[in-house]
Amino acid sequence: MQFDITIVFEYIPFLLEAALLTIEISILAILVSIIVGLIIAFFKISKFRILQKISDFYIEMIRGVPLLVQLYVIYFGLPQIGIEFDAFTASVLGLGFYAASYVAEIFRGSIQAIPFGQMEAARSLGMSYFKAMEKVILPQALRHSLPPLGNQFIITLKNSSLCSVITANELMHSTSRFASVNFAFLEFLLVASVIYFVMTFTISKLVNLMERKLSVGERRSL
Amino acid sequence: MVETVKQPIIKVENLNKKFGDLEVLKEINLDIYPGEVVVIIGSSGSGKSTLLRCLNQLETPTGGKIFLEDKQVNTEETNINKVRQELGMVFQQFNLFPHMTVLENIMVSPVSVAGRPKDEVKQKALELLEMVGMSEKKDQYPLMLSGGQQQRVAIARALAMNPKVMLFDEPTSALDPELIGEVLQVMKKLAKDGMTMVVVTHEMGFAREVADRVCFMDNGYIVMDDSPEKVFSDQHDNDRLHSFLRNIG
Ligand SMILES: Nc1ncnc2c1ncn2[C@@H]1O[C@H](COP(=O)(O)OP(=O)(O)O)[C@@H](O)[C@H]1O
Ligand SMILES: [Mg+2]
Repeated sequence: MQFDITIVFEYIPFLLEAALLTIEISILAILVSIIVGLIIAFFKISKFRILQKISDFYIEMIRGVPLLVQLYVIYFGLPQIGIEFDAFTASVLGLGFYAASYVAEIFRGSIQAIPFGQMEAARSLGMSYFKAMEKVILPQALRHSLPPLGNQFIITLKNSSLCSVITANELMHSTSRFASVNFAFLEFLLVASVIYFVMTFTISKLVNLMERKLSVGERRSL
Repeated sequence: MVETVKQPIIKVENLNKKFGDLEVLKEINLDIYPGEVVVIIGSSGSGKSTLLRCLNQLETPTGGKIFLEDKQVNTEETNINKVRQELGMVFQQFNLFPHMTVLENIMVSPVSVAGRPKDEVKQKALELLEMVGMSEKKDQYPLMLSGGQQQRVAIARALAMNPKVMLFDEPTSALDPELIGEVLQVMKKLAKDGMTMVVVTHEMGFAREVADRVCFMDNGYIVMDDSPEKVFSDQHDNDRLHSFLRNIG
């Protein structure tokens, strides 16, 4: 056996297509995680004990169980009680709910980092709690959340390779399929690694750029 | 000072506030009439901020009643967001919104809370900026401004809601000495224009010059509520006040 990278070339369009699916799954998953994470974060900072407990429970439970197990539960387990998802949807939900446990803490941290005087000033101008959140607190908090959210996106994108085991036709799944058909694991894994790296590297650069754009004015004077 | 029919705009009856076991406000009674400037003085921890914050319900009183005109403020049924629109508040730390320009800071609440048309609000905002001398900074972000400039914008922001009363909690205490004057100047202008004001401050010159009444707070009580002439004179025998005024210089 020898190393022959040319064997991969004819598969590159298929690998890129699979990479596109990886991106799709990751973007949808991070959107799910933002919505769920925001809700969990609000539970956590609410003054109701029961909501705080729910939020704690969610975070502890999701973080305490391996993602792979959670994906199995969603894709292979739930159909037993009549809840069925296709591989794509199961991947998005599994990755999204998992990331939400981290995103929730990102949001909570950045909301609580906003000085309390901001909320008081907003309320003293007649804004309701939710109006103050919408206009004053969240815009500032989300800005501060952006870098850690970007990191979470990168982690989610890498985690999406686990979805190959629940037959989602993403990059890792295609890679292992083509690799075993051709008995060329090193070649295909090398190319897949390069594609993963290009994606994560690009995202991290984009996040940096966005961060700089958003902070214009706010911190330029510091 | 006020010759018109005497109907207080703010009425405080037997106000009491506890933080846990700590009783911070005790049997506070206070009437504030339209157009009056009431200055509250007293040493740190005497309850001045808490009193002011009870007026617009940033703190919930544990006892007593607060009325704005004839509506009781501290009841379950009161829409507190409506009440707060009538009471502008200026904080020691300015608390401008750093992600909004000066103009946006002023416009956000009139537009998104009061639902007033944008054009009209902008017109009013520009007039207010003119009034506080901040017109040419309207598109800047707060953190690029000096403390004095930020506080003047904060005053304009509160005024943009067309409040009936303005509450000031040590508006110049966080400022470098050379910036205090420009903020006091704006407040004097407001007072002259007939705004009803409740001002917590250590600026005794301002109190002497502008106040209609000065309240001295000590240990949660208003122990003196009188004209500045009386409060800043020897015609009373309140030792605590004498020593407070001596210490503040
Ligand atoms: N949120 C709070 N919780 C507990 N104690 C407080 C709180 N706010 C103020 N206090 C206490 O109430 C007292 C009066 O405070 P404050 O009204 O801020 O005084 P002042 O403004 O006159 O300096 C102080 O002893 C202060 O420590
Ligand atoms: Mg105070």
